[in-house]
Amino acid sequence: MTVKKKILLIDDDKDFLMATKFILESGGYEVFLAEDGKTGIEMVKEVRPDLAIVDMMMETWGEGFNVVSKVRSSEGGKELPLIILSAVDLQGPYQSFEPSDEFPRVDMVLHKPIKADELLRSADRLIK
Amino acid sequence: MMDERADTLVLVIDDEASIRDGCAQVLEKSGYRVLTTGEGLAGIQIARQEKPAVVFVDLKMPSISGMEVIDILSKDNPDMVLVIITGYASIITAVEAMKKGAYDYFPKPFTPDQLRAVTKRCIEHRSLAMETRRLRKEKEQVQQNFITFVSHEMRSPLATIQQYMEALTVIAGESLNSEGKEIVERCNRRLQSLCELVEHWLDISRIEAGIFNRKMESVNLSSLILKSIDELSALCRQCELSVTTEIAEGLPGIEGDEESLIRVFVNIIGNAAKYTPAGGRISISAGQDEYYVTASVSDTGIGIAPDKIPVIFEPFYRVKTKGDTQKGSGLGLTFCRKIVEAHEGTIDVTSVEGEGTTFTVCFPRGHSRR
Repeated sequence: MTVKKKILLIDDDKDFLMATKFILESGGYEVFLAEDGKTGIEMVKEVRPDLAIVDMMMETWGEGFNVVSKVRSSEGGKELPLIILSAVDLQGPYQSFEPSDEFPRVDMVLHKPIKADELLRSADRLIK
Repeated sequence: MMDERADTLVLVIDDEASIRDGCAQVLEKSGYRVLTTGEGLAGIQIARQEKPAVVFVDLKMPSISGMEVIDILSKDNPDMVLVIITGYASIITAVEAMKKGAYDYFPKPFTPDQLRAVTKRCIEHRSLAMETRRLRKEKEQVQQNFITFVSHEMRSPLATIQQYMEALTVIAGESLNSEGKEIVERCNRRLQSLCELVEHWLDISRIEAGIFNRKMESVNLSSLILKSIDELSALCRQCELSVTTEIAEGLPGIEGDEESLIRVFVNIIGNAAKYTPAGGRISISAGQDEYYVTASVSDTGIGIAPDKIPVIFEPFYRVKTKGDTQKGSGLGLTFCRKIVEAHEGTIDVTSVEGEGTTFTVCFPRGHSRR
């Protein structure tokens, strides 16, 4: 029996967490959920996920970036593959986010809602 | 009332000591806090530090004139009410002082009652003006907050519902019978149009609020058109429509935001597809002249009645015809016009009922490649 790879989802929208969990579980992943950034950061240490998916827009715009920064600077978080989710960008719906020096490195940006096959393909690619 | 006045500071700038002292005595007795100075520059300094509610300024003073003091102070602080006092009151000086930002002028000599009346009026004017500015700012803020609110509170649940639909398809998609699959498909389509409605509404609101700031770069009209057609190729095949293009070579770039312009063409060509019966044709052409780059989308569709043409760009208007099953946001063409106008372009339509419709979009040639 192979051990399932672990994915941690951090998003304050419980329904979005559930929907995404169903999709990822269908791809054979073990999925852990955190409904706020603080819990998410603790779970990175406890669960040691193989991938974390973080919503950019939690409570205040950019909260997701704080979570990513804290994960990156925490033990074992430096190399953790990270996907950031954006639903709302203040400039308009079609503008994509480019990580820069100001923002912590993320491995991928996906826009909500995410097609099931795109989500699974991305997870497969980042976890390998 | 007395307490309120004690917080209200009046500054008197006049080189005549008797006027300064007289004003101070009268106004302090009425409960105001009063500062005085005999010199214009000192007056400006005091005004900047103490931020008085009302400033009386003598027109004729030795070093700097009252008019100059008014000119400087009026630019400093919009909440300060400025009044010229003068022994040489004339319509001309009054008008000039008002132009420089004074609220009123006040001829010398004056009685204590007159001074009290003018001061009271100034303070009332000040509260009204401050209230107006506050309300205006609040209104702008509300508008901005509403846009931000809608963008989060409407997009988030929509995205979540769409994500659930994705999950449902993954979990149960294979086990659904054809009716179940059709229900899922119909839900997805309605969700998609609701999302488009929200996005169009947001874009229109942003343009109206003056906060539409997309990337402006030199974009190529022919590649815009080809990308738009590409997005709609499945729909056109499904509707059994042929699409032809006639795009002039070497079109100059236009200054614009590529994504929004693609949305515009997808909308226009999509409309043509929706309102053209099977077997019809959509022809798209693009060309240029000395000043403009122009693109036209013509169809062999049902056309638009002449009396409806003026209103099709209005928000939430949709041409209703018998058996019309088209589902749209009702904001598509409003969105197109707003976006085109934000690019300093124009959008026009000609149509003959039963024969077809032509939309023409016209943009100024880009500066970079002129």
